[in-house]
Amino acid sequence: MRTGTQRIWNGIAALLIAALFAGICTLVFTKLGGRTDWSKLWEFRGLWFSGWLCTLLISLGALVGSLIVGLLLMLGQRSPLPAVKWSCRFFLEFVRDTPLLVQLLVGYFVIFAPFLSRTLDGMGWNEKIVIGIILLSLFEGAYLGEIFRGGVESIPRAQWESARAVGFNRSQVYRHVIFPQALRRVLPAVAGQFVSLIKDSSLLSIIGVQELFYQARAYGTRTYSGLDAYIPLALGYLILTAPVVFLAHRLERRFRDET
Amino acid sequence: MKLEIHGLTKRFGSHAALDHLDLSVDGGRVIVLVGPSGGGKSTLLRVLGGLETPDAGEVVIREKPLPRSEAELLAYRRRNGFLFQQFNLFPHLTALRNLTLPLEEVQRLSPADAKATAEAALDRFGLLAHAHKRPAELSGGQQQRVGIARAVAAKPEVLFLDEPTSALDPEMTAEVLELIQELAEGGQRIILSTHEMGFARAVGDLVAFLAAGKVVESAPPAQWFEKPQSEQAQRFLSRVLRYV
Repeated sequence: MRTGTQRIWNGIAALLIAALFAGICTLVFTKLGGRTDWSKLWEFRGLWFSGWLCTLLISLGALVGSLIVGLLLMLGQRSPLPAVKWSCRFFLEFVRDTPLLVQLLVGYFVIFAPFLSRTLDGMGWNEKIVIGIILLSLFEGAYLGEIFRGGVESIPRAQWESARAVGFNRSQVYRHVIFPQALRRVLPAVAGQFVSLIKDSSLLSIIGVQELFYQARAYGTRTYSGLDAYIPLALGYLILTAPVVFLAHRLERRFRDET
Repeated sequence: MKLEIHGLTKRFGSHAALDHLDLSVDGGRVIVLVGPSGGGKSTLLRVLGGLETPDAGEVVIREKPLPRSEAELLAYRRRNGFLFQQFNLFPHLTALRNLTLPLEEVQRLSPADAKATAEAALDRFGLLAHAHKRPAELSGGQQQRVGIARAVAAKPEVLFLDEPTSALDPEMTAEVLELIQELAEGGQRIILSTHEMGFARAVGDLVAFLAAGKVVESAPPAQWFEKPQSEQAQRFLSRVLRYV
């Protein structure tokens, strides 16, 4: 129960926050207002949509890819073979401790494009999108690998023991006992990582993938419209990230009710 | 049940949990391991249950040597049942699913058969009303009883119980011990460790007293509780029976 004084302070805080927000909005719109041609921005809709679809495609592809990479890295780190364990550990730390931008540039121009471009083009695939998805999967997968490892290791020893005692083999232990419990624990972190993934996909514009950010910038340069296109750009990302957050909250609540 | 153990040794680091342990059992259905904590009861049970591989020594249980390879140990664990002190159940599954999952996955029963078998096992111990509850909704005693129901649902050759009541209050202890006694009287082969001396005496066919990784002595309970041979056992009994 809120006390009377708390209610008064809450009202004051709300008023101050609203005033601050209104102030910033006024500032932004008076700056933009004179130059922004909103009707012209409507012409951006075609480019926006093609970029948005591309971002959606990359995000879905990298989502699946990063899950696979993350799972492999988690299992690799738990391998009884030191060579496998330390290679996974080293790869994971390297990926997490260097900038994504550098990984994308080096990964595309030095590693993947020279070997894969011709084959992918021959198969009629857009090589930039495919390589982009691979690079993004590796980057986000490294983070997921660490999240999954934490989740699996947080399951108490007694559960591993009981699972062995009922006669489960190694893969059955993971599938029926460890993963379902670990998933509930790591869900918020995984959802956060997926949101990051969607936003990080904007960096793929650096290797020429024509996704949403690329199209917004291209429109801006072509029409000398400055930063106008960045408002629908932000909305485009919000349309993708909001459902992920919403879904994660719902699943989290359902799992919490279950136990 | 016949059991022959010679020179069984298990080390954890520099500590020998089992130190050249010998035990020979000729008959009887229920073997009870008693003794001070840290004496090696749990380790012995875990080795006998196929959860731990010994460093040295030989075990022949029911005329067959205890397997060594992981594949054979898995098959061995699937033929037997094991229950720990606590946290036996999988918390994300209902009591019923805790029983049916191993029946389907390990014993290869069809989902319908698994359900029928699991319900029969729960019903036998008066737990059918709790079939659709998750472990968190059950009392500690109920959880252990569901754990036992899971362990015996697949008709194990031997049921291993590692201090099954140590985490329970006296009332729940009684309800779990009653169930174990019922199983023993029904002919189930059981090897268990316990601190419940009255239960050991009433239900055991043989008591083995373990201390410092060795079986100090083993005898039928009536004989052992009346006249323990070793000074160690005498001291142990006088201490644990003081307030009984």
